[in-house]
Amino acid sequence: MLKVKNGDLDRMGLLFERHHRQLFGFLFHMTNQRELSEDLVQNVFYRMLRYRHTYRGDGEFRAWMYHLARNVVHDEGRALKRTVNQSALGDSAERIGDLTTADEQILKKQELAVLHKAMAGLSAESREILVMSKFQELRYHEIAQVLNITEGAVKVRVHRAINQLKNIFMQMETKN
Amino acid sequence: MKCENDKVQLMNWINNEMTDAERLAFEIHLADCPVCLQELDAIQHTWRLMGEVKVPEPSANMSARFHTMLDTYKEMQQEKKRPFAGIVEQLRRLWTLQPGLQLTYSVVLVVVGIGFGYLLTRQGTGYANKQQVDVLSSQVHEMKQMMMLSLLENPSASERIRGVSYTSEITGSKKEVIEALLTTLNNDPNVNVRLVTLEALTHFAGNPEVREGLVQSIVQQESPLVQSALADAMVKMQEKRSVQSLKKLLQQKDLDHSVRSKIEKSISALNI
Repeated sequence: MLKVKNGDLDRMGLLFERHHRQLFGFLFHMTNQRELSEDLVQNVFYRMLRYRHTYRGDGEFRAWMYHLARNVVHDEGRALKRTVNQSALGDSAERIGDLTTADEQILKKQELAVLHKAMAGLSAESREILVMSKFQELRYHEIAQVLNITEGAVKVRVHRAINQLKNIFMQMETKN
Repeated sequence: MKCENDKVQLMNWINNEMTDAERLAFEIHLADCPVCLQELDAIQHTWRLMGEVKVPEPSANMSARFHTMLDTYKEMQQEKKRPFAGIVEQLRRLWTLQPGLQLTYSVVLVVVGIGFGYLLTRQGTGYANKQQVDVLSSQVHEMKQMMMLSLLENPSASERIRGVSYTSEITGSKKEVIEALLTTLNNDPNVNVRLVTLEALTHFAGNPEVREGLVQSIVQQESPLVQSALADAMVKMQEKRSVQSLKKLLQQKDLDHSVRSKIEKSISALNI
């Protein structure tokens, strides 16, 4: 990224190939909309080009990328009413075909559908930190960099977020 | 039953965000704390279930869109590096949008071209013409001189007279012409030719050679007409050196009476 910053814009193509899937995943978990996520990936990479002079090079590129991605989601979120993408649920459900019995498959499908709803019910802050930790597999010190908070604060927030999700999930399961 | 242990450690343990010592201490506690164990199970279940959530593949179009965006951005950067490119582009657009401007510019160019060309041709032609005229005129002059000289040697008296008449058109007093005329005056067998020659020579009266030649010619003339004419010419030119020559002429016994009287008058006129 430092080379991009110094004017070698062709290097941005390499960064895109290396990170776009991970970024798309983050944006998808945050919005639950595939097409919108693709648009936002473009948006994030455009901002990387546009604001490349703000990359200081003293932290990890991924932290900077998520920092920009959060801003993009935040800007989008003002106008976006979060919706649960049913097709995404279907996709997830289809991938559990290796379960042994039909009943188990049905149960898993239902569980995942409930989890989606539970995640949709999380606050943006909680959802974001869980996505970063679980799906993006960022270490706590990396999340601390992205959110510009201490590692201790990350631990507390992750704990709080997973408890929130677990409680919503369990409540929904009980209702069902 | 309550547990006072920090529940934050549950996620730290799941995410492997513990030091070895912390991990050991937590696992020892976990072995004896059913509350924590139960909570860990619940969290782990949710956490694992989250892992089942799959992300769809982004479309192939996304990569193509990114590269298009990158290329466009690079072009924009290139244009920024050329600060005048924008201005030139605007001028170019204005030019394209205004066919009237193009037409006016073309007409102005044509008019200026014609005007400039006309001036150049005029100047050039004038100068060339002048040179040509000068050359031609000098050639004609030389030709007339040559014709005059050759005509003076013509056997026909009338041709010789024509030759002498050309001298009036010859500007300046060329030595060759004067010598030829004096020779004709002294030697031409025809009186009329000699008279015409004398008249022609009087036009060069300002030339000392002509005056000298005329004075010397007085004694050589035998024709009374030429002698009288020479006497008149001497008076006209007020050439006092001719008096001696005229006196010599008076000594000739066979001198025409009218000529004698004419010469005497001339001598007296020159002596005043």
